[in-house]
Amino acid sequence: MNVSNAGFRFVIAGPLAWLRRDINLPLFVLAIALTAFALMAGPYHLRLLAVIGINALLVVGFQFVFGFAGAVSLAQSCFFGVGTYVTAILGTTFGLETTVTFPLSVAAAGFLAMLIAVPIMRLDDNYFALATLALSLLVELAVTQWDSVTGGTNGLSGVPPLTIFGVAATDRFQVLLIVWTVVGAGLLLAQHLRSGLYGRMFHLMRQSAPAASALGFDVARMRFAAFVASALFGGASGALMANVVRVVSPELLGLPLMVTCLTMTVLGGPLSVAGAILGALLITYLREYFRFLESYTLIVYGSLSRGRLILAPDGIIGTLEHFRGKLPGGRSGPVPGRLSSPVADALPFKGVMLALRGISLSFGGIRALDAVSLDVSPGEIVGLIGPNGSGKTTLLNVISGLYVPDGGTVTVLDRNTAGLQPFAVARLGVARTFQHIHLVDDMTVLDNVALGYAGSAGTGALAARPQLLLLDEPAAGFNEQEQRDLAERIKLIAASGTTVLVVEHNLVFLAAVATRLVCLDRGRVIADGPATTLRANPAVIEAYLGKGS
Amino acid sequence: MQLLFNGVALGAAYALVSLGFVLVVNATGAVNFAHGDLVMAGGYAAIVLASRLSLPLLAVLPLVGAVTFVLGVVICVVAYFPLLKRPPSTVFISTLLCGIILENVYIVAFGPQAQAAPPLIAAGAVQIGPVQVSIQLVATILVATVLVGLQYLVFFRSQLGRRLHAVSEDRDIARALGIPALTMIAATFGLGSALAGIAGAILANQFFVSPGGGVSLSLTGYIAVVIGGWGSIPGAVAGAMLIALFPVLASAVMPYTVATACLYAVLILILFVRPRGLFGERVQRRI
Repeated sequence: MNVSNAGFRFVIAGPLAWLRRDINLPLFVLAIALTAFALMAGPYHLRLLAVIGINALLVVGFQFVFGFAGAVSLAQSCFFGVGTYVTAILGTTFGLETTVTFPLSVAAAGFLAMLIAVPIMRLDDNYFALATLALSLLVELAVTQWDSVTGGTNGLSGVPPLTIFGVAATDRFQVLLIVWTVVGAGLLLAQHLRSGLYGRMFHLMRQSAPAASALGFDVARMRFAAFVASALFGGASGALMANVVRVVSPELLGLPLMVTCLTMTVLGGPLSVAGAILGALLITYLREYFRFLESYTLIVYGSLSRGRLILAPDGIIGTLEHFRGKLPGGRSGPVPGRLSSPVADALPFKGVMLALRGISLSFGGIRALDAVSLDVSPGEIVGLIGPNGSGKTTLLNVISGLYVPDGGTVTVLDRNTAGLQPFAVARLGVARTFQHIHLVDDMTVLDNVALGYAGSAGTGALAARPQLLLLDEPAAGFNEQEQRDLAERIKLIAASGTTVLVVEHNLVFLAAVATRLVCLDRGRVIADGPATTLRANPAVIEAYLGKGS
Repeated sequence: MQLLFNGVALGAAYALVSLGFVLVVNATGAVNFAHGDLVMAGGYAAIVLASRLSLPLLAVLPLVGAVTFVLGVVICVVAYFPLLKRPPSTVFISTLLCGIILENVYIVAFGPQAQAAPPLIAAGAVQIGPVQVSIQLVATILVATVLVGLQYLVFFRSQLGRRLHAVSEDRDIARALGIPALTMIAATFGLGSALAGIAGAILANQFFVSPGGGVSLSLTGYIAVVIGGWGSIPGAVAGAMLIALFPVLASAVMPYTVATACLYAVLILILFVRPRGLFGERVQRRI
C-alpha cells in the first residue's frame, strides 16, 4: 500500500505537480528546444533566432505597460526606434562599439519615456493611447525630416556589428549567442520584477485602480515605473536590432512595427515571459514563411490576433494555464508570489481616530451625503447601516480620499486629509476592503485586507498593521457559519489595536460585532448609538420600512 | 483668404470624419480605430462608382454612404460585438487590427499608389466677390453643412435619435426599456461610417486616397474628439475645424511638417493642462 503510494507520487504526482506549479516549465522547454534548434540550424535560422530574441525583448517590455499596467501604449515602436537610431548614429558617426552604444541607447529610450510620462501618465485609457501615438508620430517626423543626422527616409547603413571590448562578432552563431545572453538577462529580470508583491500590486491595479489606491499603492508611480520599464526594454531591443541588421530606416519605428508588437503580445499573452517568447517566435516565423504573401501577411496577422482576442483573451500561454488549472489540484491563472505576513500589532493610538464634520457631496443633482458628522474613537467597532443608496459606501470613499467632498472636513489619525491622495490616506494607517473586488479571486476578504497591510508595509510607509480598518459589506454572500467566523476575526483585529468601521446590511451580523451603530438615510445620519437601542429607534425603522410600520 | 477658405473646406470634411467618430465613441464608449480606413473606403467607393456609372460624384454620394454604412455594420459585428464585455482598450486593439486588415485589402484590390476621385460637381472656379473659389471647395462646404445638419436632426429631433441617445447613455437601462440596444449600436456604427465614407469621397478629389491614408484620419477624428471634449458632438465639429485650420494657418509662417509636428506637440500639451480635453469637464465621476 505504502509502496504503491510512494510509487504513484514519484511517477505521476511529482511531475504533475511540477507541471502545475508555474510558468517556468514552458519557459524551460522552449529554451531547450530553441538551443537544440540553434545548434543544428543553418545561418538563415540562426539569424531568425536572433530576431526572435530581439522581438521577445520588445514584447516583454510592452507587457509591462500593456499587460501589467493595463494601459494601451502605442509608443513601444517609438522606443524601439530610438534604440536603433541612437545605436546607429553613435556607431556610424563616432565609430563607438556596442558596449558603449547599448547602454546609451537604453538610457535614451528611458529618458524619453520619463520626459513624456510626466504629462501623460495620469491620462485615462483613450487619452493615454492617443498621447503615446502622438509621441510616436512626432519622433517619426523628426527622424524622417532630420536628414543630416538620421539619413531621412533612406535611413543609415553601415552600422557596426555587435562589438564587445574591441572584438566584433562576425559569424552568426556568435551574434546569436550575444543577443540571447542579453535577451535572457532581460527576460529573467522581467520575470523577477513581476513575481511577488509587484505582480499582485499590478493585478489589483488592473482590476480597480481606486481600490489599489485606497490600499496604499501609489497608482501613478506604478504606472510610471511600468511605462519607463517598457521603454528601457524597447530601447534595448532596438539597440540590438541595429547592431544585428546593421541598417536602420524609419520603418523600424512606424505603426506597422507597433502592430507587429501588439500582435505578438496579444497572441502569446500579455502577462507572461513565456508568452512573449512564444508570440515573437510564431510571428517572426509566420512573417518569414508568408513573405510571398506580401500585403496578405498583415491581413493574416490581423485576423489571427483578432481571433485570439475573442477566443482566448489571455493569450496562448494564459489559455494553457487555464487548462492546466482544470487538472486535478491545479490552479488557473498566473500564480502570485508569496507574501511575507505582517507581524507587529498596531501601537495604541490616542487622539482623534476619525472625525467627520459636516461632510456634503453631490453627484449632479443627487445629494449623496448631506452634512454628515461622525466620530469614531480608538478601539471601537462601529457599524454603519442604512437602506440602499443611503450613502454608506460613498462615505467610506470620502474617508479613503477617493471622493473629494463638496464641503466639510475629514480628520483621520489627527490629520486633516484635505488634498491627500487615496494612497496617502492609506499610508496614514487606513486599510479598507471593497464590495465585489478581490485581489485574487479565491482570496477571502481578510486575505485581501492582509494584502493591504503588506502592500503598505512593502512600500515602506506604514507600520505593519492599519490603525483604522474600513470594511465594505464584508459578510455579503456568506452563510451563517462564515458570518460567525468573520465576526470573530473582526473582533480579533480590533483586540489587537485596530479600530474598525464596517458597512453592512446584515443587522444580526453587526449586532454580534459592533460596539456602536450609526444609521444613514438619504445622506444624513439619523441615529447613532448602541446596537440594542438603535434597532428600536423609530427613525431607523421608518428609514428601512417606510412610515407607519 | 484663399488659404483660409481651403482650411474651412478641409475642416468641413474633417468635421464629417470626427462626427462619425464621436457617434461611435458615444454608442460604445470605445474608440473605433478603423474609422480612418472607412474614410478611405468611401474614397475608393467614390472612384469606382463614379467611373462605373459615369455620373458626377455628387450623384453617387448616397450610394457611397450606403456602401460604407454596410461596411460599418460589418465592422461592428466582427470587431465589437464579440467584445461587448471587455474593456475599451480591447475594442481599440480589435478595431486597430480591423483597420490594418482593411488597409491591406485596399493594397491588394486597388494597388499601393494614391488615386484621386473626380470632383463633386465639376472642376473650375467661381467668382465670389473679390476672390476666386474652386467649385469643389464650395460644394464640399455645402455638402458637409447639410450632412451635419441632417445628423443633428436625426440625433436630436427624431424618435430614432432618442433611442440611439438612450443606448449611449446607459445600454442596460435602454435595453430594459425595450430598445433593441445591439441594433442601435450597429446602426450608430453604420451612420458613423457613412459619414466617414462621404467625407472620404469628398476628400479624395483634392487629397487622394491611398491604402495607408486611414491612420492619420483616424487620428484626426481622435484628436478632434479629444480637443472638443470626449463625447461632445458640437465639440468634435469645433475640434475638426481647429485641426484643419491650424496647419493651414501655421504653414504660412513655418514648413508644413513643422506645423504638423506642432499640432501633435500642442495636443500633448492640451492633454497635460486639461486631461479631459479642452472643453469637456464632467462632474466627479462615480467609482
